[in-house]
Amino acid sequence: METFRKIKLIYRRELVVWAKRPMYIIGTILALAFCTIFYTTFLAEGVPSDVPIGVVDLDNSSVSRNFVSQLDATQLGKTIRFNTFSDAREILQRGKITSIIVIPEGFYADLQGFRQPTFTFYINGLYFLGGSLAYKDLLLMVNLTSGAVQRQVLRAKGYDDATIMGIIKPVEVDVHQIGNPTMNYGSYLATMMIPGVLQMIVILMIIYSLGTELKYGGSRKLMELADGNIVTALLGKLFFYTIFFTVIGGLIEILFFRWLHYPMDGRLINMFWDVFLLVIASEAVAVLIIGLVPVLRFSLSVGSLYSVLGFSLTGFTLPIEVLDGPFQAMSYMFPLRHYYLIYVQEYMFNSGFAGWWPEAVYMLLFLFAPIVILPRLKRAYILQDYSKN
Amino acid sequence: MKKIFTGIGAKISDWLRDTIGIFNAELKSVLHDEGVMVILIIAGFCYPLLYNIIYSHGTLDDIRVVVVDDSHSTESRRLTREMDATREIEIIGECMNMEEAKLLMQKRKANGIVYFPSDFNIQLNNYRTATFSVYADMSSFLYFKSLLMGANFVMLHNVRSLQIEHYSEFGMTGKEASLVAQPILYQENNPFNPTFSYSIFLISAILLLIVQQCMFIAMSISVGTKREQNKNFSSLSEEFSGKGVTRVVFGRGAVYWLIFMVISIYISYIVPHIFGFPQRGTFWNLYVLIILFVTDCVFFSMVWSSFIMKREAVFILFMFMSPVLLFLTGFSWPVTAFPPFWKYFSYLFPSTFGCKAFIDINTAGADLMAVQPQIHALVIQTIGYSILACCSMYIENFVLKYKGNIDKVKKNIENMVIIRGQDIDD
Repeated sequence: METFRKIKLIYRRELVVWAKRPMYIIGTILALAFCTIFYTTFLAEGVPSDVPIGVVDLDNSSVSRNFVSQLDATQLGKTIRFNTFSDAREILQRGKITSIIVIPEGFYADLQGFRQPTFTFYINGLYFLGGSLAYKDLLLMVNLTSGAVQRQVLRAKGYDDATIMGIIKPVEVDVHQIGNPTMNYGSYLATMMIPGVLQMIVILMIIYSLGTELKYGGSRKLMELADGNIVTALLGKLFFYTIFFTVIGGLIEILFFRWLHYPMDGRLINMFWDVFLLVIASEAVAVLIIGLVPVLRFSLSVGSLYSVLGFSLTGFTLPIEVLDGPFQAMSYMFPLRHYYLIYVQEYMFNSGFAGWWPEAVYMLLFLFAPIVILPRLKRAYILQDYSKN
Repeated sequence: MKKIFTGIGAKISDWLRDTIGIFNAELKSVLHDEGVMVILIIAGFCYPLLYNIIYSHGTLDDIRVVVVDDSHSTESRRLTREMDATREIEIIGECMNMEEAKLLMQKRKANGIVYFPSDFNIQLNNYRTATFSVYADMSSFLYFKSLLMGANFVMLHNVRSLQIEHYSEFGMTGKEASLVAQPILYQENNPFNPTFSYSIFLISAILLLIVQQCMFIAMSISVGTKREQNKNFSSLSEEFSGKGVTRVVFGRGAVYWLIFMVISIYISYIVPHIFGFPQRGTFWNLYVLIILFVTDCVFFSMVWSSFIMKREAVFILFMFMSPVLLFLTGFSWPVTAFPPFWKYFSYLFPSTFGCKAFIDINTAGADLMAVQPQIHALVIQTIGYSILACCSMYIENFVLKYKGNIDKVKKNIENMVIIRGQDIDD
């Protein structure tokens, strides 16, 4: 009972600090609000449309013009004409267009004479998304055109349309995207970037909050309130943050899956658990960092470098299996990685607790990490013997 | 006339002397600040190496795919074998039904499923379109991309060979059949990133962003420190009386400029060289870009760091901007699809233009003429931010002076009260 009273005292003290320093509000609510608005509006379109495709039409026949206008009419592509290839290549190099298609001279005549005219594509693979989408669009259009030519030949030979279809397209691939049927790039990135920012802000904020005690010498007072018990002191300080960040995280999940209707097969309540685990695991990482380096600015630098790496080592863009062994192992050291794996289980497979409990255990293991540094942090809090700057 | 010249000469030498003095003072404070040095060394020197090591393989090859084959035909088995042979796909086994396959995907043992329906071979042999399905794990879009590329390749290849087969059955000769089956050929080139490597695409965009973020953080820490020590970051001494702002801006700026020219050349030229990253631009084109970019970053950082009041504040207040700025370079989501507001917002940052110009020059081999719009934007930004930097120095000094006056007035009033009190006592 006595411990609860102390925790309550420390918790109240923390609220006063919040009210006094605007940095806490700006660094948490405003930062998260900004990022949430950014990632949900920046990628709101979901799939880019009107990707600029350069066309060099050296043939300029009715067929080639028809091909270009059909390419232009696809939802994805928007054609830009160039007179010469070197003009187009320069613009491709500048990244203003993502690809070029060159229609050769004499294309129509060669097509009619079955002399296999050759289209040439150039893709700027440095613009990954635009480039690969344009490539897909070009390939589709070329195959459709091939099909149209064959249809004419077969019709002239008197085959019926059903047979023609079976010959032009003997095999077809039917593509299904599990977990994101519309290939919405927006929901794909926002649902991981924003929790990534949450992890970063939790870590930096907790380091800041625990570190300022050292920097401004409040830590002795804090230890007095906690009766010399570092665990009580930490619980008191973290109690408020845990609730605060979990509520904000919960609101973000509601925004994703209820208001913006991002794909979700599973249950929202499980995502609340996921975000709660992310918050407490990130807090544990922050305590570990400030305990290892009880100097505010150093630990903040370490926290920044760590949380920026978190984005790369989570595997939602480049899958983890592409990385070398040591980095695959390192990915386990980021709460965001486990958040991601739980999220995948939930939104793609609706697996519920049965599907993701091992990841939840991993997240809980983070809570044991700070134990080793508690004596060190306690000493630093009482003696205040580290550099303050 | 002579007097005027000597007057101007004296002024210039004054200006230079002051600027050099401020330069020395700032350099000393940067070198003695451990916090700034940690950022310069760890973030400036180690981060680019780390990113290159993490992303040393950039292509997702041989994604694990399971097959559900309800047709049990030679055709479906042939397609399976062909898919296994592609670079993108590795067939790791066969499942009895879709449920089993999905369970494997859920357990993260497979990232794709290929399904052949029971009528696959019947359709094929009856000249009807035979459809097979692929199911991609969308937890990463790269799984989808690999699966789609592998499956499409096999599909197109089979379309050709089946068409030729069919046309031969219709009595065409082999040559004729292959011409009709493939009336148009195509040849594809991806000159700047032949394997569609994720690393080349990401690292090209990230390198100069590291420069900008490091400089901004380093300068913010130094400004915050001075403010905490109750010093004025613009360190304008009394005798300048507001006219000396350019000395401070250039004196301080030169320190960061020199340090970051070294770091930038390391990041943009030496690091790519170490890792055998494509370097298609000439060094001099790159050098010109780096000079403009670093200059722009100096003034940019100077303006925005003037909002920093505390030493650590920059981490709390601006760290989350790094990934946002990466997206704003347009490296991933195409610039043409930017919502208008974010497009204009992106114009505030040197990285928007610098990173893009770097991708084009270094990785795509463009020359300076080709990146003219970015170069112009960097120059305009530099002019704008240098004026703003001078303004922020001026305001800082004005506020401090004003604050000093208030303190004086306060003290006077206090003194007066004390004196009056003494009067009354007397």
